Amino acid sequence: MTLATVDYVILALYFAFVLGIGWFIRRRVSTSEDFLTSGRSVPVWITSLAFIAANLGAQEVIGMCASGAKYGIMTAHFYWIGAVPAMLFVGVFMMPFYYGSRARSVPEYLRLRFDEKTRALNAVTFAVMTIFSSGISMYALGLLFELVLGWSFTASVLLSAAIVLVYTFLGGLTSAIYNEVLQFFLIVLGFSPLAILAVNRSGGWSGMAARLPAVMTHTWRYVGHASENPMGVELFGLVAGLGFVLSFGYWCTDFLVVQRAMAAESMSAARRTPLIAAFPKMVMPFIVIVPGIAALALSKLALGYSIPAKPDGGPNYDLVLTTLMAQFYPSGMLGVGITALMASFMSGMAGNVTAFNTVWTYDLYQGHIRKTAPDSHYLNVARATTVVGVGLSIATAYLATRFNNIMDFLQLVFGFVNAPLFATFLLGMFWKRATGHGAFLGLLAGTSAAAATHGLTLAENKGGWLGAVMHVFPSTMAQNFWIAIFAWSTCLLVTIAVSLVSRAKPDVELRNLVYGLTKIPHDPDLAWYKRPLPLAGVVIVALIGLNLLFW
Amino acid sequence: MSDLRVSIGGFFTLVGAIVMATGLVSAPHAPLDRTNVNLYSGAALLGFGLVMLWLARRVSR
Repeated sequence: MTLATVDYVILALYFAFVLGIGWFIRRRVSTSEDFLTSGRSVPVWITSLAFIAANLGAQEVIGMCASGAKYGIMTAHFYWIGAVPAMLFVGVFMMPFYYGSRARSVPEYLRLRFDEKTRALNAVTFAVMTIFSSGISMYALGLLFELVLGWSFTASVLLSAAIVLVYTFLGGLTSAIYNEVLQFFLIVLGFSPLAILAVNRSGGWSGMAARLPAVMTHTWRYVGHASENPMGVELFGLVAGLGFVLSFGYWCTDFLVVQRAMAAESMSAARRTPLIAAFPKMVMPFIVIVPGIAALALSKLALGYSIPAKPDGGPNYDLVLTTLMAQFYPSGMLGVGITALMASFMSGMAGNVTAFNTVWTYDLYQGHIRKTAPDSHYLNVARATTVVGVGLSIATAYLATRFNNIMDFLQLVFGFVNAPLFATFLLGMFWKRATGHGAFLGLLAGTSAAAATHGLTLAENKGGWLGAVMHVFPSTMAQNFWIAIFAWSTCLLVTIAVSLVSRAKPDVELRNLVYGLTKIPHDPDLAWYKRPLPLAGVVIVALIGLNLLFW
Repeated sequence: MSDLRVSIGGFFTLVGAIVMATGLVSAPHAPLDRTNVNLYSGAALLGFGLVMLWLARRVSR
């Protein structure tokens, strides 16, 4: 694939605009809170779109298209029983505590609700994880552009990182959020024509369904038993593991996304952020997953298109998206498509950098290294952290080129750490008896349970390192879902047990932190579409409709 | 925030105009498609940009 002048012009124009937005925003930053929390002043339509865009990294876009080609429309479960219900839950039930507590970050909420050690555990693992994931996605992007466009790995990594650095350094979280909105529209408008063209060429949905095995075009019909579907998952593992533990764990506790809602201008806007975001999120599968399914259908037609292959001959699904672009986009739209890919990478990276920044500055630096200093000191620390964070991400990207195995290992360990988190938050927010000792030990026990499950089971030759193999899963995806289920349950039980034998905080210290001691706002004067419950109701109806339509 | 609408509107108006112009000047087509993708997609991008600019103008009045 080669780009023409017009494609480079579009890419350059995009760079100019993101830098320009950062330049305009810089005047709004005068305190550390402006820089790290947007001073809680961002309008709701902006926080909503940023809420999705921060998660819509390049790996997400490329990975979802790849999964579409590999697993079919079942991939949409990640949206239709995964992300969207979890987004409703965080908006309706959890945001009153996050926003109402006046905490500046998710770890800080844990300190207010539980204690310092629980916050430190969460803050440290989160900080390491954000750097790691932005480094990994930078690595993936560099590799892809090297392979597809022939660009040098170093050039694409350094150029994209430098641009993210400049606009986040200038305007902090506000700049990242504003750019995420531009990036969101670019991703949607840049990839939609591809979805339309690819589906159209393969004969529409019915044409695709006629050429593919039925399991590729149904979401629920083949999940009764793991052997019936290519994901190798069964109903309970799917609904409890993915739909409940993993999705709620990510969307309700991960500061990367929650930070966007916490930047909203009012409690009502913070609650509506994930609810409004649920509408575009619901239709994202048509843009990112369906092209992958269409690619598979196209490869069955004698058109000369085939799924790209790895050197060893197996299918390389990660290249499906870019090969589709080469097949359907002439120079011009090709520039828009490549720019959209770049935008998705940048929104993901800026999301990681800004979340890392806040957690480092407020939870680790102010919490443990220098507790009192004038605000200007923390603003300087935050700006310096932006540079350090981007630098560490670049270092991680280069590390990944040399030690791929360490990266896989770290990814696994982070999975163990994340799996139990949602149990801690659920108990913390809805059971005032839960204590700091309980939360801390519950998290450690949950992480251990996750590791033990992985060590005692086997899937596609992964796991089983504890010697005895007690169960063999049909796929690593099923294994991941069950690891999450065991970790969550262990964390829940241990937290309850330890809490019951340790001393709880008195009620006065738990005001605005726990259900029952927090005034949940009801805004009867607002129009129905500005209130959380009716909005959530509309989303649920639409969601049921989508699931039935692709049953 | 009307200024973000101006930025987004300005960006898509420019990109849309460029892509649409590419489609008008020549109609190169990609391997698997015969339609003038640049012309139609460019028009859509341009339309979106103009709507954003119009929204920004309406708010600032």
